[in-house]
Amino acid sequence: MASKITVFPERCIAAGNCHEIAAKYFDQDPEDGTVLLIKGDVEGGDEKTVDRAAATCPVAAIEQIARVS
Amino acid sequence: MMAGQATSAREYPFARTSPLEPPPELAEVRDAEPVGKVRLWDGSSAWLVTRYADVRQALIDPKISSDTTRPGFPQASATAVQFRKGQRVFVRMDAPKHDAHRLMLTADFTVRHVREYRPYLDAMIDDLFSAMEAKQAAGAAVDLVQDFALVVPSRVITRILDLPPEDSEFFLDRVKTSMSLDSTPEQTARSGADTLAYFARVIEERGNGDGQDLISRLVRDRVKTGQLTSEELQHILHLVLVGGFDTTANMIALGTLVFLQNPVQVALLRQRPDLVQGAVEELLRYLSVAHHVAYRQAKEDTLVGGQPVADGDSLIAPLIAANHDPEMFAEPGRFDITRDARGHVAFGYGIHQCLGQALARVELQAVFAKIFDRFPRLGLAVPFESLRFRNSIIYGVEELPVTF
Repeated sequence: MASKITVFPERCIAAGNCHEIAAKYFDQDPEDGTVLLIKGDVEGGDEKTVDRAAATCPVAAIEQIARVS
Repeated sequence: MMAGQATSAREYPFARTSPLEPPPELAEVRDAEPVGKVRLWDGSSAWLVTRYADVRQALIDPKISSDTTRPGFPQASATAVQFRKGQRVFVRMDAPKHDAHRLMLTADFTVRHVREYRPYLDAMIDDLFSAMEAKQAAGAAVDLVQDFALVVPSRVITRILDLPPEDSEFFLDRVKTSMSLDSTPEQTARSGADTLAYFARVIEERGNGDGQDLISRLVRDRVKTGQLTSEELQHILHLVLVGGFDTTANMIALGTLVFLQNPVQVALLRQRPDLVQGAVEELLRYLSVAHHVAYRQAKEDTLVGGQPVADGDSLIAPLIAANHDPEMFAEPGRFDITRDARGHVAFGYGIHQCLGQALARVELQAVFAKIFDRFPRLGLAVPFESLRFRNSIIYGVEELPVTF
């Protein structure tokens, strides 16, 4: 099992929660603070942190989907 | 409105019975009727939403509006109506115009950007603590609100906007008056107008310069290009001021007070400085100072927590109700800095979640990383019962006399 992250930057309002919670996966565009996905494949053991970033996003702009490898 | 409806519904806002705890009625209605009708000061009715999951759902639903110009939009009082009417800014807009305006500011409030203020904050806080020590040594009373809590965010905001620090007093007075529910609507209107006039002058002055501060850049990149009118920018700057001063100042003062009432947590934080980030999140959750903010109105038929809400219905989704929902936070009335509080909605939820939240976190982390180490014997100089709390859009304490 390896899960994958999808982001929806058009929904993003640059609150920055994802970067604070999971900086390994999410950054903020210096131009307007919106989400930049650094890494779409979630390393084993990081699923909870990524879930937390997704659950904290105020506009539901992040999804983590479990994939069967 | 039907007479039967008006008599059966509870009156909102509910009263607190203890200054640092949410009104007990919020928990009662969460149990009895999690999405239920309440009656407001003007006789109108609104859906009061009190569960964590439902508050988040209400605040993220695009069918639910923040636009206070809509007829019948609910407010906490006549003064709040006046304050909100004066806010012609993106917090009072829905998508897509909201998003376009908000994203003109966000580059200056990214996590990365605001963390650069930390060394400046650390030095400033040390200086303010030294000044407090000198004041106490000279035999004068130290008020943590005036001598510290208000100063930290006001210096940061005047720095970001490149305004003379000595203008802070003017801003503090106007922000306090315009947001207090004890002000008359006229006082609120006058304070708002004063601040807008101040910013109109600053915008005018910076129109031809090459300054790198936020205002100069917004004038050059947004006003001169026709993306924003000067009036819209005045309102945006007013919002930055209101959001940046009052909220953080109240969190610093009330947060210190919460710690002083919980000495075990002070000892724990001193023992484990790595807990400071979690401690700040727990303070944000526990206090939820943004009181009268999550007022909304449905602009289409929708559902909240399974309850049908009709087009035009008013809703109130108090952040403190969500943050004290035991389904989400076990024993919510317990202040516990080891708790995982990060999912709180103290900064709101949905597209209007606080623009300055990363900055607030940096400021609060800097304060609570230092204050109890610098002043291990910090305590109230007056009985807790004599403290006066603020009836305002943002909750706060008027003075916090301390010794150390």
